[in-house]
Amino acid sequence: MIGKAPLIALFAASSLHAEDAELLFVRRIAPLFQDKCLACHGNEESKIKGDFDMRSREAVLKGGESEKPGIVPGKPDESPLYLAVTRQHEDDWEPMPPKEADKLYAEQIEWIKQWIAGGAPWPDKAKFDAITKANAEKWSAEDGIVVKTTGALSDAWATRKYKPEGLWAYQPVKKPAAKGIDELIAMHLPEGVEPAPAADARTFIRRATFDLTGLPPTPEDVEAFVQSSIKDPATSTQTLINKLLDSPHYGERMAQHWLDVTRYADSSGFANDYERGNAWRYRDYVIRAFNSDKPYDQFIKEQIAGDEIDANDPEKLVATGFLRMGPWELTGMEVAKIARQRFLDDVTNSVGETFLAHSLQCARCHDHKFDPVPTHDYYSIQAVFGTTQLCERAAPFLKQENTQGFEEKKYLEMRRKEHEAMLKQLDVVMLKNAETWFAEKKLDRTAWDTAVINARKFVEGGGKGGKKGRSFTGVFETARNAMEKQGVAEDQYPPKLVGFTPEQFGNERVARKGLERLKWEVDRYEPYALSVYSGRTVEMKAVLAPLRMAPDRMTNGELEETCILPGGDPFGKGPKVSPGVLSVLAAFNKTTSIEFPPEIEGRRTTFANWVADRHNPLTTRAIVNRIWMWHFGQPIAGNPNNFGSTGKKPTHPELLDWLAATFVEKGWSFKELHRVIMMSEAYLRSSQFSVQGSPLQREELEKFYAVFKPRRLTSEELRDSMLSVSGELNPTLGGIPNRPEINLEAALQPRMVMGTFAAAWTPNPLPAQRNRRSIYALKLRGLVDPMQEVFNAPAPYFSCERRDASTVTPQVFSLFNSKASAVRALALATRVTKETSDDAKALQRCFALIYGRDPSAEESSACLAHWKAMTAEQSKLTFKADRPLLEVRRDAVEENTGEKFSFQEKLHANADFVPDLQPGDVDARTRALADVCLALLNSNEFAYVY
Amino acid sequence: MSISHPFPCAGSRALHAPTRRDFVYGLGASLGSVAFSALMAEENIKSQISDLKSSSPLAPKQGHFPNAKAKNVIFLMMEGGPSHVDTFDPKPMLNKLHLKEFTREGKQKSAMESGKRYYVRSPFKFIKADKSGADMAENWSHLAGVADDLCFFRGCQVDSVNHPTAMYQMNCGNRFGGDPGIGAWVNYGLGTLNQDLPGFIVLPEISYPQGGAANWSNGYLPAHYQGTPLRAKGSPILDINPPEGITREHQRANLDLIAKLNQKHAADHPWHEELQARMDSYELAFRMQVQVPEVLDLSKEDEKTKAMYGIGSDATDAFGRKCLLARKLVEKGVRFVQLYNGTWDSHDYIERAHGNRVRGVDQPIAALIKDLKQRGLLESTLIVWCGEFGRTPDNGVRGGTQYGRDHNPKAMTIWMAGGGCNAGHTIGLTDEVGMEAVEEVHHVRDFHITLLRMLGLDDNKLSFYHGGRFKQLSQFGGKVIEKLIA
Repeated sequence: MIGKAPLIALFAASSLHAEDAELLFVRRIAPLFQDKCLACHGNEESKIKGDFDMRSREAVLKGGESEKPGIVPGKPDESPLYLAVTRQHEDDWEPMPPKEADKLYAEQIEWIKQWIAGGAPWPDKAKFDAITKANAEKWSAEDGIVVKTTGALSDAWATRKYKPEGLWAYQPVKKPAAKGIDELIAMHLPEGVEPAPAADARTFIRRATFDLTGLPPTPEDVEAFVQSSIKDPATSTQTLINKLLDSPHYGERMAQHWLDVTRYADSSGFANDYERGNAWRYRDYVIRAFNSDKPYDQFIKEQIAGDEIDANDPEKLVATGFLRMGPWELTGMEVAKIARQRFLDDVTNSVGETFLAHSLQCARCHDHKFDPVPTHDYYSIQAVFGTTQLCERAAPFLKQENTQGFEEKKYLEMRRKEHEAMLKQLDVVMLKNAETWFAEKKLDRTAWDTAVINARKFVEGGGKGGKKGRSFTGVFETARNAMEKQGVAEDQYPPKLVGFTPEQFGNERVARKGLERLKWEVDRYEPYALSVYSGRTVEMKAVLAPLRMAPDRMTNGELEETCILPGGDPFGKGPKVSPGVLSVLAAFNKTTSIEFPPEIEGRRTTFANWVADRHNPLTTRAIVNRIWMWHFGQPIAGNPNNFGSTGKKPTHPELLDWLAATFVEKGWSFKELHRVIMMSEAYLRSSQFSVQGSPLQREELEKFYAVFKPRRLTSEELRDSMLSVSGELNPTLGGIPNRPEINLEAALQPRMVMGTFAAAWTPNPLPAQRNRRSIYALKLRGLVDPMQEVFNAPAPYFSCERRDASTVTPQVFSLFNSKASAVRALALATRVTKETSDDAKALQRCFALIYGRDPSAEESSACLAHWKAMTAEQSKLTFKADRPLLEVRRDAVEENTGEKFSFQEKLHANADFVPDLQPGDVDARTRALADVCLALLNSNEFAYVY
Repeated sequence: MSISHPFPCAGSRALHAPTRRDFVYGLGASLGSVAFSALMAEENIKSQISDLKSSSPLAPKQGHFPNAKAKNVIFLMMEGGPSHVDTFDPKPMLNKLHLKEFTREGKQKSAMESGKRYYVRSPFKFIKADKSGADMAENWSHLAGVADDLCFFRGCQVDSVNHPTAMYQMNCGNRFGGDPGIGAWVNYGLGTLNQDLPGFIVLPEISYPQGGAANWSNGYLPAHYQGTPLRAKGSPILDINPPEGITREHQRANLDLIAKLNQKHAADHPWHEELQARMDSYELAFRMQVQVPEVLDLSKEDEKTKAMYGIGSDATDAFGRKCLLARKLVEKGVRFVQLYNGTWDSHDYIERAHGNRVRGVDQPIAALIKDLKQRGLLESTLIVWCGEFGRTPDNGVRGGTQYGRDHNPKAMTIWMAGGGCNAGHTIGLTDEVGMEAVEEVHHVRDFHITLLRMLGLDDNKLSFYHGGRFKQLSQFGGKVIEKLIA
């Protein structure tokens, strides 16, 4: 540790000489007080806590509310200030600083002790400055380095010092002169540790296939690979990897990783959780990008600035969907500027985490506590997006996009008609209630009657009145609006929704809001992209329908002038900032100066070019760290979204740099890097290893890549594999989101969205539509497939840098008890029965499909015995055909009245529903084999990849 | 100065990735419990899981302040935003201002609060209840009987005017969702007493609230701290039962086959400890299928108790059942139970809408307090009653003369009972119309810190390393509201 040695020498003495204590004060104590104490004990005179002022020796000696001196010079053990910072005397002195995360390190506590012991000298300003000046050079050499950044809020922050090891990520990438991955891994391997040998072919093909496609290998692929590996393992591995990289399912698997980071969802989240009809095009763009091995630098640029790069290329507009991935909405309840600021904060942090492995939000309210990221940088990057506007932008469908299945829109049209019919019916009710209202109030209804006659004429003639954006305005409302316009006093005509029962209040709301929600859903089939444009910020009150591009985007609205927002307050006004980048990088890297255009357009292009610069060490390290994790289950730098000093340091820094440099050399090609990684000995290594005799624990062996770390299948892999082995998987790529069958109770679970209830989850009618890969399932923030959730699929609120794979009991309910698992097992049993001629062969086929191997004699006899026993059990059972509900009754509390009400929701698509294979479709023997299959699908061997 | 350590003391805290021994049971994981062992013996399953109890992440733990009174929490979440000025914070001034119009505009205002507004008086009469003389609208007739057990807090403020974001903030500390719920934090800090049941149980309405299940999420904490909703209708836990027709014996036979397959696999992979955890979870699940319905069964409660909770009366039946179940769960050692009631979002017809809401919860809540008290559980059970925000004293022109109120993040009433709260007192003050808290004003984070403190937890110490930094319920720290604690 820099600077430690001389101090240790100082501490050796029992107490310091006065001069040394003064030096200690200037060098350590004063900055420490400034950093840790003065925020509450002096900086703001009016807010001094506990009446304890720490700005001067006198004040400290005076003490605070306790009425005891803060320090007793010469006697640290009697000094409350010292006792408080030790946190060991809680009964008498509250630990300070109060936050555990802010507590002093042992070394800092020792400084305070020594200073007090040395008489607690407090040199005046002149002496203080003299000491500082005299020692400046020496101290800076000993204490760490100052990092040059732009626009720090205080000098103290600008000149603070950093330990070099915390700055690793900003240093230029240095490619070690090593032959490759294995050499760089070997150099960290503790002595005496012999790495595991290569995995056997059967294990390896399962590993490689899941890693690159998220699907299990077919039994035929396994046998072929096992055979070819006997002859020539290296060539056969190479061939396998190439084949898998060429599979279209490669893109799906990689896209899932990327969408975890970017928080993909098909809905907006928050109060309305409106569907984002066009989000799927971004998902497919990502899949295409991986499949076509789009160079990463281009991938970056398109996602940040595709619209600026080529607005005429729909693909590029779709790519900017990345900028829209965060949850966002603007309702009438919220202040528009706050919602706008939420978008800006979201996108600023998101580009930081995604591409630069820097969680920038820590610099939103103040200069970064630990990293050399001034708040000025945060707002400079935010200024890049100051002219970025949200919109669902016209973008014709491309040849390569899957535009099948748009006919499902007819079900939405049915819903629309139903809502309109309900509103018409309620219009009649209101008109009738209005008459009762007039009778009760004994008011003159002449004006009203005229208004109604005119309104009826208007509405029946196809006229659409009412407020802007309103989907339906009936006669009653038109008449009311007319009265209002005429300036009639409000109590002279009936209130809105006059005389409704709770049921009618509820139905009106469900229908009206339902029409509003449909606008978002039908956008799915239109050639629009979830995208952005550069322009001025138009005033908005609420966003109740997809936003289209403003025609006069360069002239209408406010040209945002980004400024530092003290404390992150959207209405705050700090210094103005211009578009910029992370200033710390310039301190370590030779970069060409970055010029942002003064215009509205082009800021994001400039920024994207800086991110995607081959010399940007954060960008290249961040992505290779992720790719490495996608193969090994653990990243090299432990927090893939945070390379800052609080993130975990790389375990193999040379390897990280080697990968980063190699990646760029190979044209930013993902597929090339996969090849390099997957052909390394480290990747080929077996996970089987006898720990006996090893000096290391299993975790350590994995950490050093001496053995391969096994992993549990992800939620998507589990579902997709089950569909794959059962033969039910529809492998079609891309297209509008599908709706698989999820737990029926979850599907019909009423959920509140603003002012109403979201529609039930209605599965697609046909098995082929439902049984697609999980990446295509409609991803609503407000309704998650419970099976996906329990198996740790990340919720799309935050970027997921790394998935959990914890074991929790609800997983058992989902995998063992659910209808979905039963159906998969049944389809698998039916499949193998058809494909084989006797029981033993059928079982063998099951093992081949699920495990990629033959059963042992013991397994075989256990399974066959179970099959037989269950056949007897199953033959006792009878089954009713599974008929989907055409209508569901929803019970809820009505907002206007606080009373219970219920409504019927029609599930239109269910009229055409064709179920998957059902138990009643097959004989008891097949159902009993399905019991065996269910057990296999729940077993550990299926759930883990080695 | 030098930044010598990136963050203090990482080694002393659990890092995010669970270690091999941190097996995760989520829903009840009592591997050493007597009952479970007996069951295992009975069913003759050999397993070596005896030493796992102490390493279960839900094993009971000592808090930071061992003298804390509260051991459990029953959190009554009145979703939608109950109006403080119509329940526990009377504003006579509104009677004078009733229907007085004014206009509010500006860039710092939402569409909802802008334009022509008018003040609305409360349609409810207020009383001074019990010996402490707590302010209560008179339609809280049952709760008035236990007013001396309540501590009212009028100083709380939140940041959001929108339901889901305000709900997230009240439940998880963060407005934007995705963070752990309070119940998850409390279980992380204290574990739970009954290892056969989840430590954080949610009793939602039939319809999930805005923001959905993220309101009881484990967030970045490991999955075993997640809130488990016991659904109000249908299967209490999704897929807790096997498909129709599959008997318990049938299922046992299937489980036995899984166990056989797993045993061979485990023998081939002796170093892979996760395998055992997964095997155990199947046995536990099998057992829970019987246990959970037993817990939910209220039929064994005596009729008098049921009547006290209002079970059987139309207005109070649903919430009465939840309150009684909450008591049972706390008795069984469940650490944190959260009950939902809604919707209190009365933009129109406040008299009717709030009247109905109050009718539905008044008797059940009063019964819960009395029942806990007579069982000696009120001291150790902290009850919290709140919404996600309060409501405005004024209303917009909403097409007629329907008196209602909009959302108000600047003033609300929260009350607590039991658990060592400062019962019989009202803390904090709102302005003369109830628009904004003016005395003992605290951001909701301070309320969270106080709640943790009452359970013996220190928010600053209850942190979790995630994404490269330590995170905590209060987000950035804050202070205990001492006046809320007795």
